[in-house]
Amino acid sequence: MPKKGNKKNIVLVSAILLFSLSLMTLNVKQEKGATFLDSIAGVILSPFQSFFTQAIQSVSDSITHYFFLVDVARENDRLKLEIQRLISEKNQLTEHLSSQKRLAILMAHQDDWEKNVVVASVIGRTATQWSKVVIINKGTQSGLRDHLAVITAAGVIGQVINVGLNTSKVLLIVDGRSAVDALFQNSRVSGVVVGMGEDECQMKFVPNTADVKVGDSVLSSGLGGIFPKGLVIGKVSQVSRKKQGLFQEITLTPSADLSRLEEVLVLLP
Amino acid sequence: MFYFSQVLIAVFLFSAQTTWLELFSFGGVTPDLILVWVVYCGIRYSRTGGIGTGIALGLVQDSLSGGLLGVNTLSKGLIAYVFSTLKGKFYVEGVVPIGIFLICSSIFDGLVFYFSMEIVLKGEVAPSFLYQSLPVYSIYNALTGPFMFVVLDKIDGWLQLKMSNPHMGMRR
Repeated sequence: MPKKGNKKNIVLVSAILLFSLSLMTLNVKQEKGATFLDSIAGVILSPFQSFFTQAIQSVSDSITHYFFLVDVARENDRLKLEIQRLISEKNQLTEHLSSQKRLAILMAHQDDWEKNVVVASVIGRTATQWSKVVIINKGTQSGLRDHLAVITAAGVIGQVINVGLNTSKVLLIVDGRSAVDALFQNSRVSGVVVGMGEDECQMKFVPNTADVKVGDSVLSSGLGGIFPKGLVIGKVSQVSRKKQGLFQEITLTPSADLSRLEEVLVLLP
Repeated sequence: MFYFSQVLIAVFLFSAQTTWLELFSFGGVTPDLILVWVVYCGIRYSRTGGIGTGIALGLVQDSLSGGLLGVNTLSKGLIAYVFSTLKGKFYVEGVVPIGIFLICSSIFDGLVFYFSMEIVLKGEVAPSFLYQSLPVYSIYNALTGPFMFVVLDKIDGWLQLKMSNPHMGMRR
């Protein structure tokens, strides 16, 4: 007969398992919409995330310009304070200007898509090591919903998977759960770009007979209904063909730098 | 006061985890501050407090991860349970024991993710996950952990000084 302590342990572990598995089951069955918990967590944390992101940008700008300032200060100490004041102003203006430039480049694509777009800023990343997800500062209030394509001027970055009131989660194309129907720009051979949870993707189901070279561009095919046809996904960085097997093993480098995302475009239907 | 301070720590850690911690990524891997805190709670707090905090933190982490809800609740809850149960049987002070505990916890956390991806979501996980990302993640957590333990101990000590009756129910 089990002791009282053992019994308590079994009950505790069972409760944790049961609770977690119930959450997983609910999550898998619930196909659309943010869960209540997601929305609450997003609303509470988004101001702090915005604050931290802005602080990082400010510090980064200050460090960059500090090195520039050192030489100037050596030349003329008397002007140091004045220069710092001007540099501080310049930092703000430079940041504003570069932000405007990025937005202008993004908005230039609005005509290309012939779609409504929402410009959003990346305010955070996923709270776990293993998911490749970013958080943007737009949600249902801006007309966002699940399964909308998210891009930058460089190309596809992912899709919206979870929409809150003022924030949304974007599943990046390198996440293991991401799959985008794609084709090669030159040969028009199609395949599926899947994430591997690392910095690169793989293009699957490309026949061994297809002519694929390193550097070939891969575009979205338009199938699947999320990504419009012709968006740049990435370039082939590695190809290997096995003697046995039907398909090639192709590694892609995403065209957008997913580690330095600042502003993104969400394509509305 | 105690619970308020815990909420503040949680907000700070989650904000850091989702924003500037990326600057310290090594090979695309960042330490998991929440995991370290769960281990800390499991070791330092009462059994109920440790397990409760572990489950709550896992749940919030799930909510912020965009992944499968329940994965972190499961791993963090069980990690907190294990440390709450076994803390009386091990020597838990010092850099080396804490580092070893964090390596074991990180491996368990990674394996829970791996199997949930493989079994439940049927997603793709890079083959290098088990022999590259997971070891780096474990070592990174083990290196970050002792430092965080010192900081959290300082905060805890300061709170005890400030309060005449410091969180009696939560301490072991």
